[in-house]
Amino acid sequence: MGAPLAHGADLEGAEARMSLSEHAERNRKAWGEIAADYVQSAERNWATDEITWGVWDVTETEVGVLPDVAGKDVIELGCGTAYFSAWLARRGARPVGVDVTPEQLATARRMQAEHGPEFPLLEASAEDVPAPDASFDLVVSEYGASIWADPYRWIPEAARLLRSGGELVFLVNGTIAVLCFPDEEEPPTNELRRDYFGMHRFEWPDDDSVEFHLGYGEWIHLFGEHGFDVLDLVEVRAPEGAPPSRFKGLPLPDWARRWPSEEIWRARMRA
Amino acid sequence: MASSDGLTEHARTNRDFWDAESEGYQAEHAEFIAHEAPHWGLWQLPDSELGVLGDVSGLDVLELGCGAAQFGLALVQAGARVVGIDFSERQLDHARQNVEASGLAMELVHGSAEALPFEDGRFDLVVSDHGANRFADPYLWVPECARVLRSSGWLAFSGGTAFEVVCFDEESDTWDNRLHRDYFGMRQWDWGAASDGSLEFELGYGDWIRLFRQSGLAVEALLEVNPPEGARSTYRTDEETAWARRWPMEQIWKVRKPA
Repeated sequence: MGAPLAHGADLEGAEARMSLSEHAERNRKAWGEIAADYVQSAERNWATDEITWGVWDVTETEVGVLPDVAGKDVIELGCGTAYFSAWLARRGARPVGVDVTPEQLATARRMQAEHGPEFPLLEASAEDVPAPDASFDLVVSEYGASIWADPYRWIPEAARLLRSGGELVFLVNGTIAVLCFPDEEEPPTNELRRDYFGMHRFEWPDDDSVEFHLGYGEWIHLFGEHGFDVLDLVEVRAPEGAPPSRFKGLPLPDWARRWPSEEIWRARMRA
Repeated sequence: MASSDGLTEHARTNRDFWDAESEGYQAEHAEFIAHEAPHWGLWQLPDSELGVLGDVSGLDVLELGCGAAQFGLALVQAGARVVGIDFSERQLDHARQNVEASGLAMELVHGSAEALPFEDGRFDLVVSDHGANRFADPYLWVPECARVLRSSGWLAFSGGTAFEVVCFDEESDTWDNRLHRDYFGMRQWDWGAASDGSLEFELGYGDWIRLFRQSGLAVEALLEVNPPEGARSTYRTDEETAWARRWPMEQIWKVRKPA
């Protein structure tokens, strides 16, 4: 570990690690190039208070996957523009946002200044977080490190950062959706285009980013290896009459009514 | 809805199916599934390789949907005290013959996994190998398992998968690389146009996990079977086995009742 850091403001200013993994470098660059496209959604999300998950804006009230966050130390891995942390902060949590992309954190800082509240933001990879062991009660990630960092690196980091009894809640693309994604940026059809066995690292021809997706059994295995008990797996179903999401490579509403387009895992560190 | 014999409607349908099929089933598969040591599932992979059960000696074991008791007898040979339950009298006839021929002791009970005729905390381990877990309603049999398990006891069962249900094409009566059926709402299903008259049950991953947790069982492992090179089966064709090397067709859940 680097300099001993307490949570809260003391974390601000912690330096990104010098050695990022090859895929973290690539994702940092890819996200730097598209960060401007996420300013508008940052504006919209920071201006609301309701916690929602994923592209269908399913409300936390509906899915109920988060523990009570009031008074809790929360770290968001791959926070992007940090709207999720802002929602938790407004419910009494003490969040820290971590992202590897400086352009995304710049948007997050601007949003903090415009909307509040302010909380620490760290430029770092979720695979190597400059924060002390056992310093958080909750690790969250919504389309963040959960799909852009290697689970064999970030799940052990989440375990290290959590206190015993602390929880891990994160959203990823639906497994079946990942297997059906075409190579070009088109919505999935009902065709399985890749194998389930061997799922781990995914690269797409249309950009230089690297994603990570595991099968169900492998997630469960990884949780167990790092001291987590599985509490829940919510498979998100698009609400009836949902309009298409603004992401053209993601499932259309009709698809997402039939098969899970998103999955939210909840696990807890054993005492 | 319970009928006069105490079975739910689907259990009665499936019991009648198994009573009718038993003779043909044993003729087709009995030899393939009989082993001295426990073997699992569609490809009869040895437990010693899968590492699901490990040492069962001295354990009180319940087998759900024991059929002709091939799996149960292998557990007896491994040193377990085994009770097998099945709702099909015809299957139990075969089981009685097999137990007698083996010279081993295994108790056989006629009944349904959805309403187990055992006291709470009677067993250390409950197993099912494409048994009751395929043909009984999980919302009935999983809580029953939790009830008859001792604390620290566990449940291990092999069965189909959500992929097996979703990718089955009833017109060609096999699996392909298409999603044919919905994932949401999965619970009771049949083989559609290719139906053999049985009613089967399968849940999505999240529904299994929630059901285990609600029943007081902690998830230990989900082993997704990838049949090794050379694996053979009397249940699946070589083409279907090739499919099962790409997407999971069989899985084994291992869950535990906390101490």
